[in-house]
Amino acid sequence: MADVVGLLGEHGDDAKPLAGGQSLVPMLAMRLTRFEHIVDLNKVEELFGVTADNGGVRIGAMTRQAAVETDATVAERVPLLHLATPHIGHFQIRNRGTIGGSVAHADPASEYPAVMLALDGVAEVASASGTREVPAAEFFESTFMTAVAPDELLTALRFPAWEQPAGFAFDEIARRSGDFALAGVAVGIGTDGGGRINRAAVGMLGVGPTPLRASSVEAALTGLAVADADPAEIGRLAADDMNPIGDVHASADYRRRAGSTLVGRVLADALSQLTQEANGG
Amino acid sequence: MVADQISLSMTINGRARRGVAEPRLTLADFLREQAQCTGVHLGCEHGVCGSCTVLMDGEAVRSCLLFAVQADGADITTVEGLAPDEETLHPVQEAFRDCHGLQCGFCTPGFIVSVTAFLEANPDPSDEEIRHGIAGNLCRCTGYQGIVAATRQAAAAMKGSGQS
Amino acid sequence: MSTAAARYVGQSVKRLEDPRLVTGHGRYVDDIMLPGMLHVAFGRSDLARATITHLDTSAAEALDGVHAVFTGADLNSHNDSLRASLHPPESPAPPANMLADGDVRFVGDPYVMVVAESRYIAEDALELVDVEFEPLDPVVDYETAAESDNHVHPELGGNLAHDLPVPNPAQQEVFENAAHIITETWHQHRQTNVPMETRGIVASWQPHAGVMEVWASTQSPHEMQLVGARVLGIGEHKMVVHFGDVGGGFGQKMFLGREDMAVLVAAKLLASPVKWIEDRRENLLASNHARIEQMTVSMAVDEDGNFLAADLDQLEDDGAYPLGGPATPGAMATMLYPGPYRMGPVSWRARTVYTNTCGRGAYRGPWQMESVAREQMIDRVAREIGIDPLELRRRNVLKPEDLPYQVSTGLFYETTISPEQTLEQAAEMIGYDDFRAEQAKAREEGRYLGLGMALYIEPTSMGMGPLGTESAMLRVEVDGHVNVFMGTGSHGQSLETTIAQLVADELGVRPDDVTLHQGHGSGYGFGTGGSRSAVIAGSAARAAASGVREKVVAIAAHLMEASADDLEVADGVISVKGTPAASMTMAQVAATAYQNSDALPPGTEAGLEHTARYKAPPTTHSNACHICTCEIDPGTGKVTLLRYVVSEDCGVLINPMVVDGQIAGGVVQGIGGVLYEHCVYDESGNPLASTFLDYLVPTAAEVPDLETGHVVVPSDTPGGHKGTGEGGAIGAPPAVFNAVADALAPFGVYPNRQPLDPNAVLSLIASASDS
Repeated sequence: MADVVGLLGEHGDDAKPLAGGQSLVPMLAMRLTRFEHIVDLNKVEELFGVTADNGGVRIGAMTRQAAVETDATVAERVPLLHLATPHIGHFQIRNRGTIGGSVAHADPASEYPAVMLALDGVAEVASASGTREVPAAEFFESTFMTAVAPDELLTALRFPAWEQPAGFAFDEIARRSGDFALAGVAVGIGTDGGGRINRAAVGMLGVGPTPLRASSVEAALTGLAVADADPAEIGRLAADDMNPIGDVHASADYRRRAGSTLVGRVLADALSQLTQEANGG
Repeated sequence: MVADQISLSMTINGRARRGVAEPRLTLADFLREQAQCTGVHLGCEHGVCGSCTVLMDGEAVRSCLLFAVQADGADITTVEGLAPDEETLHPVQEAFRDCHGLQCGFCTPGFIVSVTAFLEANPDPSDEEIRHGIAGNLCRCTGYQGIVAATRQAAAAMKGSGQS
Repeated sequence: MSTAAARYVGQSVKRLEDPRLVTGHGRYVDDIMLPGMLHVAFGRSDLARATITHLDTSAAEALDGVHAVFTGADLNSHNDSLRASLHPPESPAPPANMLADGDVRFVGDPYVMVVAESRYIAEDALELVDVEFEPLDPVVDYETAAESDNHVHPELGGNLAHDLPVPNPAQQEVFENAAHIITETWHQHRQTNVPMETRGIVASWQPHAGVMEVWASTQSPHEMQLVGARVLGIGEHKMVVHFGDVGGGFGQKMFLGREDMAVLVAAKLLASPVKWIEDRRENLLASNHARIEQMTVSMAVDEDGNFLAADLDQLEDDGAYPLGGPATPGAMATMLYPGPYRMGPVSWRARTVYTNTCGRGAYRGPWQMESVAREQMIDRVAREIGIDPLELRRRNVLKPEDLPYQVSTGLFYETTISPEQTLEQAAEMIGYDDFRAEQAKAREEGRYLGLGMALYIEPTSMGMGPLGTESAMLRVEVDGHVNVFMGTGSHGQSLETTIAQLVADELGVRPDDVTLHQGHGSGYGFGTGGSRSAVIAGSAARAAASGVREKVVAIAAHLMEASADDLEVADGVISVKGTPAASMTMAQVAATAYQNSDALPPGTEAGLEHTARYKAPPTTHSNACHICTCEIDPGTGKVTLLRYVVSEDCGVLINPMVVDGQIAGGVVQGIGGVLYEHCVYDESGNPLASTFLDYLVPTAAEVPDLETGHVVVPSDTPGGHKGTGEGGAIGAPPAVFNAVADALAPFGVYPNRQPLDPNAVLSLIASASDS
């Protein structure tokens, strides 16, 4: 790994780390981008693997999406990652694609960045001069742009544990199975154990230049009794938290309308888990 | 612009192979042009159509999205490596033939490799799981009717023979 | 002597093509690798309309590994000979060239061609071509193209390619007194064929021999031979076209592209084998587009819903360089509009315009706007006058007692069509009344279900011009195996199997005993497209087999000292009826015919071969009815198809599995067209769907199970078959469109254009709640 950050430090903008290659290689093949040097991370063993971390998990940047999908620790401790992963492309893509590559690529319509943002994940970043940590809220700067400098490497992601009773849900609207989302939502709702919401985390994808948090929704939920929350109505608030643009697949207006409907549905899903829990379900 | 050639070796369909490749050569081009695996088809070269799917160390991957040098030391299986002998088809190949899972045949090698890997992981899939499981490969001829049926048949056949 | 009984025709015989294709041993054009072969990359315009002000290829030529860089000035010396065979020299056409010269006319227009030792190097060299453009205002919107002062082809002085008005005073008279006149403009949108194998060609010139040897991804090896020879200025006999496996076409590979011609010329100039394999971006941007059209329809209807007359105005976008020449499907679409109904007098007008976009080309059912406009219009009429759409169709559909039928637009339907039967069978299969009840209940629960249907008659196996005939040269070899040489170009249609089934029955062998050879060595034929191979090529194969069978029986009768009338031939054995022990094999007869000709009956020609050519009647009509159901999510605008049924009549089925496969493929292309696929251009003529991430071909997860029913009314052609290759793509678009419109009816909205993607559906719903 020292070799990798050494090369990145030496070549700066002329070098690009290659993770799973599921986004970078098509761009190279179509000659939409080019680099003098490609630094392949696929044989850097310390970048792979999921480890338990303080109740949460630490996931090496080169951990394949397929490994995240089937990892028992991830499923138990960070259910949102487990729920979101099958929405990424297709299984052949997930066999190569990595969690770090997806986060570092920072496509605003991709799943992991929104989950990371919703769950207040932390990025570990290394360079020749040392390592640093970047919280998710500071990580995604603009479309395809992150806080990782050209001479730095994203090495791992940490997802802290949720201690309280919680419901998690993820869904997205895509044109076809496996396509990038027109809009997507990652929701975590935690309670005080007495049926009152004390934590709401709502990450959105495809509805802005970066993944976004639906702060209005989170504020409206926090403090409510689970039984009193009207997900469809609260979901509509998300429209104000979005900043979408249009493309060939859908207009900005579509993303706002359908996206806020989706927020309501995914909230309902997460809330229903808490209701079931309260009912001993 | 021509970079140095790098020597590499890999196992392709059970046989050790050596070759040289400049770093930018894709695994798909290497397999087609140097290893005579012309069953590896290129339908888009940007990782969507799935025609170039091969097994790398047992996992289905798009060979157009890998550089040949990244497969140095790997064990590669292409569609040519599935049938046990010249007289016998692999159960997935047999099922594609039985169920008319192909017309022009161009997407077929990628589908067959993908379905083989898919059934390895999901030996008893529902129709819904099949449809999403094979959604990473595009076919323009069949409307997928025969392919879904073939996947169903192959699942039953492989379970029966203990192949999965 | 009677014809052999059908043993294989009608059976879902497993395909003879498949063992090689499922094991990766097919041979497609990109699999051809010749010693010293060079590779081509085309430099293409990024601007829709521009003047080339500067073009310097010297840096590209200097790159290591580059053999040549050609521009329009180097190649465009064959301009008078680029026309497709179907395109008569006297009809209007855009200027023909292989490479843009002086200006570019659409994004993707090739203006430079690099030939290098690898595709990688060829693309490196393209980056070294020094070119400057002066942008001009492009013509992008086909609705206003005819009035634009900007001309796509300045040589033509205007953008109107065709204008064919056919007024009918009888129609105008009916309109004056009709109870209802309903008018709507129906729009289709730009789509493309997307064969999974892109276009491609390998050309190898043999100097001194003067022979051009070609491997091509084509639907029509003889079109490649004829036009290629003309482009090169060589005799047809010097143009050797090999036909291997072809990865789909759907109309795109009927004709030579400008790039194919450029490769032929380059190969001759360089005297090296040259390969061009189109990449997917090129295929999406610059092969051909289709379905960019609209039809304004007015229909007169009486109080009871009887159709009285129609007035049609069709406008279609030809793009800049239409593939195969500027077509007139618009004229065909208007002529075919009456379809399977009593329609009364029809007036029509069909126009085609040029724009600075990718050229139009044939795409499975190129004229299907007739069914799109008519079937969508019938649902609209039903809604306007308050009659159930199935009932409205029942009142107007042609019934067996109406046949034969002369249509006012000039079409003539033979007695062998069955539109009413397919309508009823499809309605039965879908459970029409039950669905309507389920739909009503769902609406009460706030769920939006819809049902759409489409009934159509398809003109197949057209018998005019170059399309009218096919030949079969059939030879039983010394070992008894049967080789058939035909001018077809099977690229997924399973002809190696279905032709073998026909020959097997006619000759008395097994399908495994028959091998189909296409391309070099076969007699002229137009190839595979236009739903013509089963009827035209099949009838030729049948006739050739019949000719050989007569010889086989005569020889066997002589050798076995039996009467020819007492012999039967089956599975390669000739035996005396009722005395199976008295028999000989096809191989024994063949060996005698070739190697012991003195033992033949007196006066019998040695050998076992026969050539037959079949001339088709003007049209053989097939027909079908599609019905599908859907549910719309009013929150996201997503359409989910629930069920899809097809009842079709393609006459006698040769191989039911293959027929069902043809239908399914076409249906899913139609579903893709209405719900997913769109070649989007922005206002400056810039294509936005240039990859498979943006041009959305449906996956298995987007399509429902298909249920197919068959009505079999044999046609009058020798085998009783009718064409069926294109039908799926004709019926599906209006069926899917009508289902979505039906589901949206409670919102009081009237969709009239595709695609009905989530964005469009949600906008329609929003427009209802906003108003």
